[in-house]
Amino acid sequence: MKIISIFLSLLITIIFSLSVQANPKRIGYIVNYGTHEWYQNVIFGLQSRADELGIEFEVMDANLDVNKQTQQAEDFMTKGVDVLIMTPVNEEGVVPILKKAKAEGMPVVLEGNPAKGMTTLFAICDYDAGYKAGDEVGRILVSRGVKEARVMDVGLPLLSATVLRSLGFMEAIATHVSATKVHELDGSGMIDSSVEVASAALAKDSNINVIYGINDGSALGGLQAWRASGLSEKDLIVAGTGAEGLAFLNELTKEGTPYLVEAAMFPEGVGYTGMNLAVDLFNGVDVPKHKVTPTLALTVNNYASYYDFDKAAQKRAINFANVAGIPTEDKCTKYAEDL
Amino acid sequence: MIKTIKNNETILFFIFIILCIFLSIYNPQFYSIQNINSILRSSSTVMIVAFGMTILLTSGEVDLSVGALMSFVTVIVMDVINITGSVVLGFIAVFLFCLFIGLINGFVRTILNVNSLIATLAMMLILQGSVYVYSMAAIYNTHLIPFFTFIGQGFVFKIPMPVIIMLFILPFFVLFLNFTRFGRYFTAIGSNSDAASLSGINNKKFKIIGFVTTSLLVGISGIILASLMDTGQQGSAKGFELIVIAAVLLGGTSFKGGSGTIVGTILGILILKVIDNGIILMGISQEFQLVVPGVILIIAVYFDNLRKAQDV
Repeated sequence: MKIISIFLSLLITIIFSLSVQANPKRIGYIVNYGTHEWYQNVIFGLQSRADELGIEFEVMDANLDVNKQTQQAEDFMTKGVDVLIMTPVNEEGVVPILKKAKAEGMPVVLEGNPAKGMTTLFAICDYDAGYKAGDEVGRILVSRGVKEARVMDVGLPLLSATVLRSLGFMEAIATHVSATKVHELDGSGMIDSSVEVASAALAKDSNINVIYGINDGSALGGLQAWRASGLSEKDLIVAGTGAEGLAFLNELTKEGTPYLVEAAMFPEGVGYTGMNLAVDLFNGVDVPKHKVTPTLALTVNNYASYYDFDKAAQKRAINFANVAGIPTEDKCTKYAEDL
Repeated sequence: MIKTIKNNETILFFIFIILCIFLSIYNPQFYSIQNINSILRSSSTVMIVAFGMTILLTSGEVDLSVGALMSFVTVIVMDVINITGSVVLGFIAVFLFCLFIGLINGFVRTILNVNSLIATLAMMLILQGSVYVYSMAAIYNTHLIPFFTFIGQGFVFKIPMPVIIMLFILPFFVLFLNFTRFGRYFTAIGSNSDAASLSGINNKKFKIIGFVTTSLLVGISGIILASLMDTGQQGSAKGFELIVIAAVLLGGTSFKGGSGTIVGTILGILILKVIDNGIILMGISQEFQLVVPGVILIIAVYFDNLRKAQDV
């Protein structure tokens, strides 16, 4: 009888240990450009979730160098991390790393950009993010009785991701009012370049009532050019994209600002989701090819539900639970190949 | 030599006029007050730094760290004003920092005898990295002092403030380089360093002055840029040094030193900026804004070599 009870308890223990999935002990992340605010906040999200799960988390910065990223991936594999997370410097450069990781049985999760041979990716939907911002701007225009949106798009035409944002923005506005893209500019994603090109464009034609920026720097650059041109902000609406750092919160919370909409991509939420995806992959859970992370049109009325912003201290704290509660698409409405 | 330079300025002036006429015909908006202000405001920050770069290049030196320093200045000025609530303290911090960087550049060049191309390239890398040590995130305007915003975005009699600041600085450099003994020393050092030294000119001292002057002028431009962006932004002013150098060389300043005029520099900058503006007015792919300074750099150095060959 005693032998049977020992056998049964041993069996139960084995079955229980098999059914409870263990978290990975160590996860490595190679960021492509760690000094950018967006990635600092992605890292914050990854680290926050890793801390909650008791996972040792280490970051390396490739600093836009594909060779460095390859070397760092090999370093992580040698160190024996349980899962490797990467934001590829470029889509081709990561392919040999994926092959090597597969050969060594190392699970790899990509962030941002897909690559040939990948298992899974966590990223926002660029088109849908732009669409949500455009939809909100369209509503505001209708509420103001405006019949036509005349848009200055401070974009980045060389990148398919940013082209998708601009496309989504314009298509969404067009569902509310007549929409004309008056200027399609390349602000290089930088505020100073955006100020310069937007100033010249506004000198050419300042009959604009909407400025859209494919990131926060572009939107703010467009707005600063508008201000430096001495134009009235009364009928203007500015929409940015990203919620990369503090820039949009500072502007959004200014009294009388025309910066009314932000297509928030919640970089901290991206990181948080990515860590969960890495754990699932490690545990052999069936993971999607593309895990879409939440995006939402933020305004001065709803931002406090997602960010606790201390303007004096210049700090923001994300509400992970509320961000996780945002309904998210199963797949993007449009991808780069649809362009 | 003087005739050649004057000819160069005349040619540049005619190129500038032809460009303006062409763009005015193509799009009458070109000669609108708003567009002229846009070109002049955009030119001002480049011109201010280019005045110093003209002196440096005339003396046979170059400073590649101006763009990285300018980016750092935007961060420092915004941060110090945010912390202290004092624009004056922000300016003092900027000029002390620029003085320090200018002195280092000058000492590395003259005391350690490192080629200025290498010395300032190294400084550029140091500044690009250390700005992130200073602050990982961009610094936003939380002080909301109207005067600070006025510097980059304000107007006086419909003239943008950056233009007024540039016009205030301009006469000092025109007079200095053309009509003072010290100004001519820079040309003498660039023409023949040994001969200048033998005639009693302290080459090292003047070169250090050149680096410090350029850095201090970067301080002024950086403050204007921070005001215009309303932000202290790491990574801003990317490629700024190449635009400044291309414009100064286009203006007839020799890369090998010994010749250079502020008027030529101003014309060089105006041509580059009118081309930039034309690219947007004509709806041409903006990537040409990067291509143009590169092409002009090659053409300018080629003509500089031709001029040198003629002089010989």
